[in-house]
Amino acid sequence: MSLAKPVMRGLLGKRLRFHLPIAFALSLVAAIGFKYGVTEPRKQAYADFYKQYDAVKEFTAMKEAGVFESVRPSGE
Amino acid sequence: MAHPSQLGFQDAASPVMEELLHFHDHALMIVFLISTLVLYIIVAMVTTKLTNKYILDSQEIEIIWTVLPAVILILIALPSLRILYLMDEINDPHLTIKAMGHQWYWSYEYTDYEDLGFDSYMIPTQDLTPGQFRLLEADHRMVIPVESPIRVLVSAEDVLHSWAVPALGVKMDAVPGRLNQTAFIASRPGVFYGQCSEICGANHSFMPIVVEAVPLEHFENWSSLMLEDASL
Repeated sequence: MSLAKPVMRGLLGKRLRFHLPIAFALSLVAAIGFKYGVTEPRKQAYADFYKQYDAVKEFTAMKEAGVFESVRPSGE
Repeated sequence: MAHPSQLGFQDAASPVMEELLHFHDHALMIVFLISTLVLYIIVAMVTTKLTNKYILDSQEIEIIWTVLPAVILILIALPSLRILYLMDEINDPHLTIKAMGHQWYWSYEYTDYEDLGFDSYMIPTQDLTPGQFRLLEADHRMVIPVESPIRVLVSAEDVLHSWAVPALGVKMDAVPGRLNQTAFIASRPGVFYGQCSEICGANHSFMPIVVEAVPLEHFENWSSLMLEDASL
């Protein structure tokens, strides 16, 4: 009984053909994950912050808290 | 200001800083993309029983790893150039302030209408009141009107310094004998801190910058009071 000749060639190519698409796919997933997990939420957070932002109200609150040097709270 | 164990940028307080934040996110996304790819390939190359691991002479892969990086570089360059030109736009400032670096304090001159000038020294740690920030507070703050374009002319009287306020997205070298110009708009009222960003001697870490953005009427009241104090 004779054994089948083992595959001796193209081993690295086979490994690369298996692993490289996975590598590219994973890196795309990482990039898309970062984009929708960090980048887009941050843009939305800034948009939402300024949509509802009342500068006068915030300034008055900071003034009364004594944050500013140029404007003191009403009591002082 | 920065808070302990902070990793990212401070919250943006100017439109330019917001753009810079988003560009940084874009560039970091590309960095993660490349790093994931490289890390996977390293692990795949290291965890193999194959002994012949080196490809010789492959036209296809040479094309791929030339074109792909070129495309990635263009994807980084285009938003980068957009922000560069955005920062350089003609901005028609409402106010010009001169910030002069000294060893080891800043001085500010508001000379558009009257001659207002004052020095800004760090408040020493032992003189801080509760709630104040160590190494960041100054005795006189640079007060500006909120939502107005401000031009700052930065220079130095002795050695190199650098005027930087991270929340506003501003950093400009203070070079003796040279006037450098930068501009910004404070989008919201508040107090924004920065530190000297060019080594300038023993107290380089102890000459902070504090910018206070208040509504215009309060800025006008403050500048009138400062002029009165100066004339006494």
